[in-house]
Amino acid sequence: MSYRKEFKATEVIKQKKEIEQQKNLIKAYFLDIFFVFYSVIVFQRAIYYKIFLEMDELPFSWGDILILFSISTIVSVIWTSTRTSLACKIFGIAKDNKITKYIVEIYSWVLFNLTFIAGWIVTKISIVDVFSPEGMKGANRIFTALFTPEFSIFDEALFAIIETIYLALLATVISLPITIILSFLSARNLMKDNKFTFFIYYILRIVLNFVRSIEPIIWAIIFSVWVGIGPFAGMLSLMIHTIASNAKLYSEAIEGINEGPVEAIKATGANKIQIVWYAIVPQIILPFLSFTIYRWDINVRMATIIGLVGGGGIGTMLIQYQGLAKWNEVGLIVIMIALVVWIMDYVSAKIREAIY
Amino acid sequence: MSNRTIVSVENLHKVYDNGTHALKGVSFEVKEGEFLVVIGLSGSGKSTLLRCINRLHEPSHGKIEFLGKDITHLRGRELRNIQKQIGMVFQHFNLIPRKTVLENVLAGKLASVSTWNSLIGNFPKTIVDDAYRCLEIVGIPEKAGVRADALSGGQQQRVAIARSLIQHPKLLLADEPVASLDPATSNSVMQYFERINKEFGTTIICNLHFLSLVRRYATRVIALKAGQIVFEGLPTEIDEKWFKEIYGEEAMEVEIR
Repeated sequence: MSYRKEFKATEVIKQKKEIEQQKNLIKAYFLDIFFVFYSVIVFQRAIYYKIFLEMDELPFSWGDILILFSISTIVSVIWTSTRTSLACKIFGIAKDNKITKYIVEIYSWVLFNLTFIAGWIVTKISIVDVFSPEGMKGANRIFTALFTPEFSIFDEALFAIIETIYLALLATVISLPITIILSFLSARNLMKDNKFTFFIYYILRIVLNFVRSIEPIIWAIIFSVWVGIGPFAGMLSLMIHTIASNAKLYSEAIEGINEGPVEAIKATGANKIQIVWYAIVPQIILPFLSFTIYRWDINVRMATIIGLVGGGGIGTMLIQYQGLAKWNEVGLIVIMIALVVWIMDYVSAKIREAIY
Repeated sequence: MSNRTIVSVENLHKVYDNGTHALKGVSFEVKEGEFLVVIGLSGSGKSTLLRCINRLHEPSHGKIEFLGKDITHLRGRELRNIQKQIGMVFQHFNLIPRKTVLENVLAGKLASVSTWNSLIGNFPKTIVDDAYRCLEIVGIPEKAGVRADALSGGQQQRVAIARSLIQHPKLLLADEPVASLDPATSNSVMQYFERINKEFGTTIICNLHFLSLVRRYATRVIALKAGQIVFEGLPTEIDEKWFKEIYGEEAMEVEIR
């Protein structure tokens, strides 16, 4: 009988560790290629072209990039194979000696500085522009107008901001059931045991990440073409983004629960659905509620922004008066937005406090 | 104590995915009606052993029989059917927060209720009556409507015991049930286990830390050290020499009454 045989534990342990290390080595190769390629590119374009050659227009050709990529791939593959690289350290397979430690420290420092310098150049930071005489004059004109708001459009602005609040509320409420279902399907601890469910988890994560990476303002542009400019387009765009970002938050709440009750309910012979309903749901109901209220608060702010591109509400009104350069009217609208956002912020914080 | 074997473990190994070799060839048998206590240092494999017996974990090698049935690699409905007959009590109680004591006890019986009925919280009257009876056994029937997380540690553990009692388990596993309780409460909780063992004839396998409790309640003792059994015998046989063998030269026995 098989179970009476000698169990070769050391081999099993060794196998598991080797598989783990091989996986990490492959990851390290790819990450190192990225690091080296990134530093070479940034060095060439930001330091060499901009600072040494003081060029204004940077030359660009895919040929150059390809050559740099090949070189950095070769360099990084050799570097990774010596197990002294940054990625090796990150994945815990680096050699444990002083030289590796110095190499990793110095290289991390170089990476940080390169990125900072490149960022400085790209942003075109200029102290002169901030304090130029014409600039100061323009700023003065706008600020004066903003601080003397025009109250004749108060009624119109009031209706617009109410529209914004309702639009945000509806986007939040409609997204809730969909979000809840998706969050369970994208919680790692629920889906990892079975190959099929893990596949669903994986696909869903990719889709959600993709949808979330598109900002609501972009969605608003898409929907304003699709269903026409107005609050409905704004609501749809907020809803899509709320689903994608709250599904992530919710699923993280599910992943962070206390596993104890799950184990206890599982031990009584309960099935998967019963485990979710009895051991997981009672633990996440409050975080879910709290996230949702917070999201309504965020959505009111976002609704203002997407109004700028045709999502309806106070944002649309703001962009109209800004286009006419009626700065006193804009001043009133800005004050009202600030007031509503402040109240929403306060109320949602109070509600969330009360729940806990 | 009958002579029927309820659990038989043979050459059991468990290697976790991170490479930890928690159990290294453990073999023993438990007869019906025994109060078996497993002792050993933290990390000696006690918890893993219990979790293999009710198959919260799947063993890497070896064989586990429950009432003559090989359950080592069972899955799905068959596995749940075995788990239904085995109760478990944990160190940290593992009650469901924000649910009442009664709901927590009823949760022990989920395997006997259809999925739909459990979702809408519809338990048959016989089961609800049984839940009250279990709460009476552990002496807190008046707490049925109280939220479980509002109770003291000792009371929470009694709810957990009631939750396993409602399963009418043939075997009750207890993973350091008194390790997070004060000495007085520890003793009273242990007395419930003793009563369950004597009155209902339920077989108990219990992990414990304190030797004074072991001597008082165990009918037999197994000592684990680094995943292997180093002692098997009566509680009275654990003398100074064995104690140092199990817990290391530095160890000193502390009393708990």
